[in-house]
Amino acid sequence: MTELDAAMKSRFDQVRALYPEAQAAVIPLLHLMQASAGTAGPEAQRTVAEYLGVPLVKVHEVVSFYTMLDEKPRGRHHIMVCKTLSCALRGSQPVFDALVRELGIQPGQVTADGAFSLEAVECLGACDMGAAIQVGDRLYGQMDEEKALRLLKQLRAEGGAS
Amino acid sequence: MSELLLTRNFGDPTALSLEGYEAKGGYQALRKALAMEPAALVEEVKKAGLRGRGGAGFSTGTKWGFLPKEDGLPRYLVVNADEGEPGTFKDRPLMEQDPHQLLEGIIIASFALRVNRAYIYIRGEFRQSLARMGEAISQASAKGYLGSHVLGSAFSLEVSTHPGAGAYICGEETALLESLEGHKGQPRLKPPFPALRGLFGRPTIINNVETLCCVPHIVSRGAEAWAALGVEKNGGTKMYCVSGQVAKPGVFELWHGVTLRSLIEEQAGGPLPGRRVKAVIPGGSSSPVLTADELDVRMDFDSLMRAGSMLGSAAVIVMDDSTSLVRALHNLTAFYSHESCGQCTPCREGTAWLHKILTKIVNGQGAIADLDRMNSICEAMVGKTICVLADACAFPVQSFTRKFRPEFEEYIRSGKRWSLTGWREEPPAPLAGGGR
Repeated sequence: MTELDAAMKSRFDQVRALYPEAQAAVIPLLHLMQASAGTAGPEAQRTVAEYLGVPLVKVHEVVSFYTMLDEKPRGRHHIMVCKTLSCALRGSQPVFDALVRELGIQPGQVTADGAFSLEAVECLGACDMGAAIQVGDRLYGQMDEEKALRLLKQLRAEGGAS
Repeated sequence: MSELLLTRNFGDPTALSLEGYEAKGGYQALRKALAMEPAALVEEVKKAGLRGRGGAGFSTGTKWGFLPKEDGLPRYLVVNADEGEPGTFKDRPLMEQDPHQLLEGIIIASFALRVNRAYIYIRGEFRQSLARMGEAISQASAKGYLGSHVLGSAFSLEVSTHPGAGAYICGEETALLESLEGHKGQPRLKPPFPALRGLFGRPTIINNVETLCCVPHIVSRGAEAWAALGVEKNGGTKMYCVSGQVAKPGVFELWHGVTLRSLIEEQAGGPLPGRRVKAVIPGGSSSPVLTADELDVRMDFDSLMRAGSMLGSAAVIVMDDSTSLVRALHNLTAFYSHESCGQCTPCREGTAWLHKILTKIVNGQGAIADLDRMNSICEAMVGKTICVLADACAFPVQSFTRKFRPEFEEYIRSGKRWSLTGWREEPPAPLAGGGR
């Protein structure tokens, strides 16, 4: 279990106060843990379970159910390529293939430098922007192979995390 | 239609601040509502004939009427902002471009329902929506629109956002409640309906984002004037999403009842250059597909039902003559087999089985008999499960294979794997498993 620092503890308290039952805070708190530690793995799950006083299994089953919560570490830039119909009709497959080639990783893997991870996801609700990809909090639309490779370059140059 | 209601502030960043929204007449409907009796507000929404914009098209006023009398214990309004039906992208701009409009709808609805706590359940991927709604809530709280004694009245309300975590099924209202309570998103058996036993076991009303955004306009114009903007029994304006193979994909607010042809040809710029429309999904990926001969249908709940499809979330996905409908359907079964929550056997096994058969067909190893087998699997899915995800997978399979059977047979006879678009031959891909 990770010891929560004062800032994190206070954010946990704010979230917990929104709900009459502790279990309801599980997903928001796991999001917080994943954002700060890069994963919602066993360590993060124990921290949330301990804090809320709920059984570990009730946290673990949530992580295993939802695709955005990841037990494996992610890259600093987690790239989500929409593969559902509207984006597929506008060329999401070539975009995805180009990213696999350029990054040298398969979905679910992280590049050796820890900078990127890649995932093909179901509908991002950005169908007018097809082919759409989301990197961290940011959404990019009308992607093709060339634009996707340019975006990688830009993210590499920026460094940091998204 | 010349007048915009729901999208009138789109593209204007001043509407993001509370002052900017007020300057455009915002929160006047709330002031008017607070001077009315809550029961009269419910009646007004009933009279307007507002139908739920999440997909089912059920009367919002009637739903509100299901809430029992107060017993002094908490009751809830839950906003369904888990927009995930493929092809749908209307709730995101409503939250990101005019967050106070939604908040005003939430406050009026909560007052009408005598509810003092509302949660906005937003798709986890919608980071901007979460941020914008969070800011709007802070601004409104600071100016007395939220909290205790809203605008000096006896009515109090707390609102907060809640992030989802990536699961299509959580758009189903009882799965959403499970998720909001911190569990796996598996739908509940009904009855009891959420209006009697919903969030944390208490009476709860769940409404879609667009539905609640209509409420301030109904209050400020009056039920009849608002209803007159649409057609009979399908009142008001409607957000229509058009995506796929059209020149100008986008979301368009129009009068309820515009034809599908006008949407595609006039609003979305028609098909891509040199192409013609082959097939259209009119109401999100779960709705039965239409052929190019069926485009004169009106885009309202009743007209599409008569045409054998559904308005659903009014998400139009256009496919042109460069597209393999076999591959398109395979894309959809991949979606549903991945998103099945696994609770009911007909859905868990059925969606995965359909996807396996289609994978085989797509790889050039199908048989004509597979088409009939898929349809018999569909019969064992529709109406046999707790929620309609199984039906939502079966409807496209049934309609694609019936309306475009010659294309499916031709694909199977070719014994090859074709690209989704462009009719190129591809090497076979490994058999993909579906479901959880």
